[in-house]
Amino acid sequence: MNSPLDSIALFYLGPLPITQAVLTTWAIMAILVIGSYLLTQRMDLVPGKRQAALELIVTTMDTQIVETSGANPSPYRAFIGTLFMFILVANWSSLIPGVEPPTAGLETDAALAVLVFLSVIWFGVRGDGIGGYLKSFAAPNPIMIPLNILQSLTRVFSMFVRLFGNVMSGVFVIGIVASLAGLLVPIPLMALDLLTGLVQAYIFAVLAMVFITSTVEDGQRSERDAAPATPPNQKDT
Amino acid sequence: MTIDFWGLGLQAVNVLILIWLLSRVFWRPVAAAIAKRQETAEEVIGSAKATQAKADTALAEATKARAGIAEERAAMRDAARIEAESAAKSTLAEARTKAEAILATAKDTINHEAAAARKANDAQASELSLKIAARLLERLNGPTVQSAFLSQLVDAIADMPAADRKALASDPKGIEIVSATDTGAEQGKVEKEIQTALGGTTEIRFTTDPDLIAGLELRSPHFTLHNSWAEDLKQVRKAVKDAA
Repeated sequence: MNSPLDSIALFYLGPLPITQAVLTTWAIMAILVIGSYLLTQRMDLVPGKRQAALELIVTTMDTQIVETSGANPSPYRAFIGTLFMFILVANWSSLIPGVEPPTAGLETDAALAVLVFLSVIWFGVRGDGIGGYLKSFAAPNPIMIPLNILQSLTRVFSMFVRLFGNVMSGVFVIGIVASLAGLLVPIPLMALDLLTGLVQAYIFAVLAMVFITSTVEDGQRSERDAAPATPPNQKDT
Repeated sequence: MTIDFWGLGLQAVNVLILIWLLSRVFWRPVAAAIAKRQETAEEVIGSAKATQAKADTALAEATKARAGIAEERAAMRDAARIEAESAAKSTLAEARTKAEAILATAKDTINHEAAAARKANDAQASELSLKIAARLLERLNGPTVQSAFLSQLVDAIADMPAADRKALASDPKGIEIVSATDTGAEQGKVEKEIQTALGGTTEIRFTTDPDLIAGLELRSPHFTLHNSWAEDLKQVRKAVKDAA
């Protein structure tokens, strides 16, 4: 058994090492994109079972975003929803024999964490402007600026480590048990791995949403605190 | 432990591409379908509300119109009742007038018919009474009655103008004395008194006519001197008829 901390390149495309995680990611991407394309071809005004299931996924995602952030879900739906679906499918891909989930590798989880870090910046600048985003580091007061900067890095790092640790440990434990106790003993652990994969995907998506919302709200709060008091009549107008 | 930054970047790009692709082929179409249905549902609800408002308005108008129809119906019913009562009164009055006219005509007809019947009855009664009288007088026909009629005939001859009496007396064809029964033994006496009354010796023929009931009549080709109960009853009948 190889070390879970190492990723072995199967082949290279120029300077790019193509690992099994990358291949699995491409397979997951192909399945998700082609499946979504095929499933969303005929969207009727009166939904059938297929369309109702698809709409249930979108509606549930919107509900989670609204309950987490209280904001309009449409700007965040694609990013948060795709993160959730990719991580979930990637986690559950471990059920297929011979397939190692991409989220059990450092690079994939680190890439997801980097994307969340960048998305926080993107949505913060988009929602509050560059000034508003930078002012979000001064919330609740400028003394917290170093801590907020540190926090913006560590919270993303914690997400990365959490997802990597849980998925990798699951895969590793199942591999060890399977090598020791045969074929049927790992099944309860694999069932537990299903739950773990779902929970980790949910946690990753919700935390990403929380971080984005926190940044956007902090920027808006900082701008409101900096703005002069509006006269009541003008405010009413 | 080493991190392959090329692999990290490749995975980040992969996930970004996946986010972009799924945004195109999954999230936007499904969200658009939901939004379209919500919009359609809102339009349908709005249309339904507008239709309901129209229906409420139409219902209010219909209720108002129905109330108006009820009032109009009541007014028309009252007018029709008044007209019917007027027509009934007019018809009743006309019928009463016609009935009274018919009644008056019937009364006149009845009166006329009653008068005619009474007249007919009177005529029948008078005829019957005359017949009864003729029957009764027929029984009284005897010598005394015959003698009385002879005296009356002689008196009548005496009352005639002298020229008429002379013309009778000199009539070459003679005269005819008619009696109801055969004069028998009285014939000579009758002939003598008549010739005496006429003042001549004209020929006298005696004949019998039962229709006279009783009496003696003098007849010539140009003159008749009635003297009988039959003639008296005839005069009575005429008088009764004239009186009726």
